[in-house]
Amino acid sequence: MKTASVLDRSRQGFGGAAVFDPEFPDVAGTEWFPADEVRTAPIGLPELSELEVVRHFTGLSHGVHGVDSGPYPLGSCTMKYNPKRNDALARLDGFARAHPRQPADTLQGLWDLSLDLQRFIAELTGMDAVSLQPAAGAHGELAGLLIMRKYFAERGEPRRIILIPDSAHGTNPASAAMVGYECKIIPTTPDGLMDLAAMDRLLDRNVAGLMLTNPSTLGLFEENITRIGQRVHDQGALLYYDGANLNALMGIVRPGDMGFDLVHINVHKTLSTPHGGGGPGAGPVGVKAFLEPYLPVPVIRRVAGRAVPDHDRPSTIGKIKTHFGHTEVLVKAYCYVLTVGALGLKTATENAVLNANYLQAKLADLLPPVFHERCMHECLLSGGTLKVSPFDFVKRLIDFGVHPPTLVGAGCVHFAKQYEAAMLIEPTETESLPSLDSMIEKFRKVAREAAVAPYMIETAPHTTAVAKIIKDQAAYISLLEATTP
Amino acid sequence: MSESIGAGYDVHRPEDRELMLEAIGLASIDELFAKIPRDLRLQRLMDLPPPLSEWELDRHVRALASANATTLTHLSLLGGGAYDHHVPAVVSDIASRGEFLTSYTPYQPEMSQGMLRVLHDFQLLLGRLLGLPRANSSVYDGATALAEAAWMACSIRQVPRIAVAETIWPEWRAVLDTYMDGRGVTIHPVAADPDSGLVAPESLERTLARTPMAALVVQTPNMFGVVESIRPLAAICKAHGALTNVSCYPMLLGLVQSPGEQGADIATCEAQSLGLWLNAGGPYLGVIATRDEYELFLPGRIVGECDDLKGEPALALVKEQREQHVSRDKATSHICSNQALMALRAVVYLSTVGEGGFRRLSRLNAQKAHYLCDRLCSLPGVALAKSGRFFNEFLLSLPGDAASVLRSLRDERIFGGIDFAGLDPRYRHHLLVAVTETRSKGELDRIVAAFARALSAAPRVDAGGDRA
Ligand SMILES: Cc1ncc(COP(=O)(O)O)c(C=O)c1O
Repeated sequence: MKTASVLDRSRQGFGGAAVFDPEFPDVAGTEWFPADEVRTAPIGLPELSELEVVRHFTGLSHGVHGVDSGPYPLGSCTMKYNPKRNDALARLDGFARAHPRQPADTLQGLWDLSLDLQRFIAELTGMDAVSLQPAAGAHGELAGLLIMRKYFAERGEPRRIILIPDSAHGTNPASAAMVGYECKIIPTTPDGLMDLAAMDRLLDRNVAGLMLTNPSTLGLFEENITRIGQRVHDQGALLYYDGANLNALMGIVRPGDMGFDLVHINVHKTLSTPHGGGGPGAGPVGVKAFLEPYLPVPVIRRVAGRAVPDHDRPSTIGKIKTHFGHTEVLVKAYCYVLTVGALGLKTATENAVLNANYLQAKLADLLPPVFHERCMHECLLSGGTLKVSPFDFVKRLIDFGVHPPTLVGAGCVHFAKQYEAAMLIEPTETESLPSLDSMIEKFRKVAREAAVAPYMIETAPHTTAVAKIIKDQAAYISLLEATTP
Repeated sequence: MSESIGAGYDVHRPEDRELMLEAIGLASIDELFAKIPRDLRLQRLMDLPPPLSEWELDRHVRALASANATTLTHLSLLGGGAYDHHVPAVVSDIASRGEFLTSYTPYQPEMSQGMLRVLHDFQLLLGRLLGLPRANSSVYDGATALAEAAWMACSIRQVPRIAVAETIWPEWRAVLDTYMDGRGVTIHPVAADPDSGLVAPESLERTLARTPMAALVVQTPNMFGVVESIRPLAAICKAHGALTNVSCYPMLLGLVQSPGEQGADIATCEAQSLGLWLNAGGPYLGVIATRDEYELFLPGRIVGECDDLKGEPALALVKEQREQHVSRDKATSHICSNQALMALRAVVYLSTVGEGGFRRLSRLNAQKAHYLCDRLCSLPGVALAKSGRFFNEFLLSLPGDAASVLRSLRDERIFGGIDFAGLDPRYRHHLLVAVTETRSKGELDRIVAAFARALSAAPRVDAGGDRA
């Protein structure tokens, strides 16, 4: 059954909440604006009582699956537990009710927190300086690429090309295009790694940088990273780290130690902040010392023992958004790091990788791993031997309370054509063994059902408000072909 | 779970780990990371503070929070794109429901109909507010909305040039510069009339006559707080084949005709005022709306109607060919994660205050701001700096140094506004003052008295003045 719009519940003429101030009796808009500019036609906003509003949205929430509702193994999205204490603390008046244009010295708590969080993220990534401003991962990429461009501009090197593996997330090439770079795509070898020979062919002094996700969105660690870094640096180019999968490496190995010059992290993945049905996230960008002058303004620095925002930075890339960043989100990330500490972060990573490998091992007979090896924090399994399409298969999981994993066209990563039947499963570090076993059993149950009652699967889900929605898969895949080199 | 330091959110018992390793066929956790070259690995624990218990964390973070002043500890007249409006309790309550809060982008529409409905209503309601039928389901903030919309206009018209009113809030203009620079778009300034503060039609006419432009980008209220008349500007743009691209403050739109009604082709706004806390600057909420024919140029997610397998109506993310996960470097934008939960807040906000409440709120903002403005302008030497109409924010010229007036006000726990010299050095004794519905008459009167004291203490500027 179709969900209702709040407008369906509106009763025209009801008006809405009582808004009044007896000391300011109402007057007509023509008091301030000429009659032909005053808005007279109805806007068409809903008109409900407060109870009707509460019931409407409470009702809508019942049809939404969150991490709070059940497992959410959506590959590359790291849908792990979002600790409630972090939400509670981010709501404190001292953050929520502070105005960004207050005199800087009345926001000392914000600067102190920001400076510490910058330091935590620098330590986590092995970088020297961090800006917390970017609004999300893609925005961190934009900041990073602008930094890259400014660095080369100041050196008088008009480099125009960014290299990107074909498994890269769509935001990588899209951000590069926004900065005016041309993208050249590096294919993936049959064993799932970036093709080094292809990289060598593309690499020259016109290349500004290589953007790499490590582990990749195929769930594999890029073992050749040292060589990749050397060759990129030999050409004077820079190595960019897309940190969406950093929860696989915390406390084990740091991008900075792997040779990366710039990184962004997705705090809404790695550092546990909730994704809110699509956002807001935050995408802090970290750089090695030689790139620090280019960070977006303001940069939070310690001056004479005090944390302060510094706007006066001649080489900065400028402003990428208003104010300082997603404070409310960053407070949550800060709380997370302080709760778990260095050992806790490392444990989270170990659990993430352990859980993914456990799932992979337990499902291997039904869904063989695409690459016959151990995975990192997520596994890429093939649905090619199933009796039903992987698309139908995962829809049936919904009936058992499990969010489908990432597939082509249904998730946030990009698969090259050859992995069309694959599913990327990231159980995340916060699923316990009983929860994993129950999830595994549900996968197996659906696979068994596929053999005997494929119809049940092809028409799934059966328990949701609406039946299966087929977005134009064929059109999607042909588009994908057109955009895959 | 062991009691070891740093257990954090650990979920496994030692025996669970052993069982799992055995299932994988490994002897130790370390072997899981065998592919990572040893010489790259961190040989120590990261240098981070020791973990805190929940009560220690609570105390620590509360101490940080209370080291910030707020609009509760001080009477605030601050604006400049972020406003201290009331947020009904209903909004935060609904927005903290775990189903909404802890879900991802609705990639699986069957298990996200509720969120999709909210986002679809967001598009509908913001479209109505802005007077243009096709809205996206959010971008990062008002400034990136303005910048993305400028690029949209360039793509629609296939012209890499935009005319930009020089009265756009400077921080937003800086974001626009950053975004346009990479795309190779040049920015051509359109001047404002120095007395009224309004965009000067002659200047627009001249800029558009010189070279074809994709669009005029204009903001209302502008950096002086002056409300632009969009209709005549849109007419000039139309005559020159340029689009009219308006960034506006949504609270104004309960009172003044929408950009769409006034002829705009693209409208954007910072919707922080629709049920979002000030949050010390973010997260906020950008949105872009446009005409039907330009919908495929919008950046970001769009929720639309579709049929399910039974032919029943449902909702899903649609028109994805515009987006980065499909079109990659040809996408209209790179945006992926957006501000969905903030969009939800805006929908709950608009539903709670309703048509009547929203319109009344708009008038109340104007009413209170004009009350304060009149009272302040009755103080000796204080005057409105621009003659154009304003809504709830206005620029005053003072007889004394703005910074020292602000300092005296602060001693009385008042944030008296924004020192305009920080935005434009030509305005050496000017203050930008914003008032919302939340200021009571008593507070406004107290503020006037405090201004009188502050002005008498401030060093005076000479009578010849340096009025810009
Ligand atoms: C590998 C990768 N890169 C980049 C992004 C983009 O991050 P965001 O959605 O925060 O902009 C994502 C998230 O979907 C991702 O998985």
